[in-house]
Amino acid sequence: MLLRESGRHTGDDYDLAAMAAGDGTGGGVAAAAALTAYADSFYEEGRAGFAAARDRLHAEIGGEALVDAAGVLAIFNAVVRVADATGIPLEEQKAAMSADFRGALGINDYPAAAGKV
Amino acid sequence: MSVEAAMVESLDYRLSPLPVRDDLAAAQKRAWARLAAPGEWWSGAVRIAIAEETRAAETCGFCRERKAALSPYAVTGAHETATDLPEVLVETVHRIRTDPGRLTRRFYEEALAGGLSDAEYVETVGVMATVIAIDSFCDAMGLPRHSLPAPLAGEPRRRRPAGAKEGLAWVPTVAPEDLTEAEAGMYDGLSAVNIHRALSLVPAEVVGFFDMDSVHYLPDGQLRDYGTEYRALTHAQTEFLAGRVSVINRCVY
Repeated sequence: MLLRESGRHTGDDYDLAAMAAGDGTGGGVAAAAALTAYADSFYEEGRAGFAAARDRLHAEIGGEALVDAAGVLAIFNAVVRVADATGIPLEEQKAAMSADFRGALGINDYPAAAGKV
Repeated sequence: MSVEAAMVESLDYRLSPLPVRDDLAAAQKRAWARLAAPGEWWSGAVRIAIAEETRAAETCGFCRERKAALSPYAVTGAHETATDLPEVLVETVHRIRTDPGRLTRRFYEEALAGGLSDAEYVETVGVMATVIAIDSFCDAMGLPRHSLPAPLAGEPRRRRPAGAKEGLAWVPTVAPEDLTEAEAGMYDGLSAVNIHRALSLVPAEVVGFFDMDSVHYLPDGQLRDYGTEYRALTHAQTEFLAGRVSVINRCVY
């Protein structure tokens, strides 16, 4: 949802569907395909492609931003577990604001969405 | 001592091929120290055992088999454990670590029925989140993981927030208006949105986790300040990556 807000501020119309689909089209965010590959390969069994994805992201965004990206990936790998393990729901306002793309992207069908949106 | 061993032993990134921001390293050191100390409901030894079990879950064959099943309840078996923690705690840790997207209220209620208190459950989640974040950072950087700290002696504090209430989540939570003097600073610097309240039954876990969160992600006050970039990674790139991680984990956040 903050991605959409960010785009509104800068005048960009980021494609949330591309982010959710992970199809490599990027959705208009700089280096999005490399970011997608970085995240996706992190979660692959064995992480066989992760080193190459990290090198690609490094080449596209630089070392300082790669460290930032590692921090974001790391903390969200924890945040999703805090959210899912405690059953914390989305705030009503956020649920209303995100209703359109949650439905379109299939997020409401996630097992963990039950009772939370 | 090798470069890798030095980084593992000291939670020190000075030898990392890519410079790690000082605030990141400092926050992780604070978190590592907090991990080893007695908590609100668990001793330092149990907290470190939970951290060890969090790591062990990643290679647990039963967890892998269950994750692949249509339903996590369709498979029976035994976890491959690294500690002598009670079975209910092992099950709690392994499920949260390996299959968070399919957790339901039933899972939480089974943990309570198995003997965990609601506050012990919440502290367990907080400990897990701490070690997962720091381990994931090392993995994402291509660096060796740090050794877990040695547990510190001492008794848990055993203080439950008087204003904790049922209703918002599976676990009881504390709304900002229900804070008492004992946990008055819990939401300092935070907007107290739902994700901040998730661990509020154990206030020290809120303070500790979001101390890390603010430097790995962004401080609350900078999240919507789209006119200023505070990191080399832009707001849009940050949110894109965060969103992608949530999608992969099938999390509504």
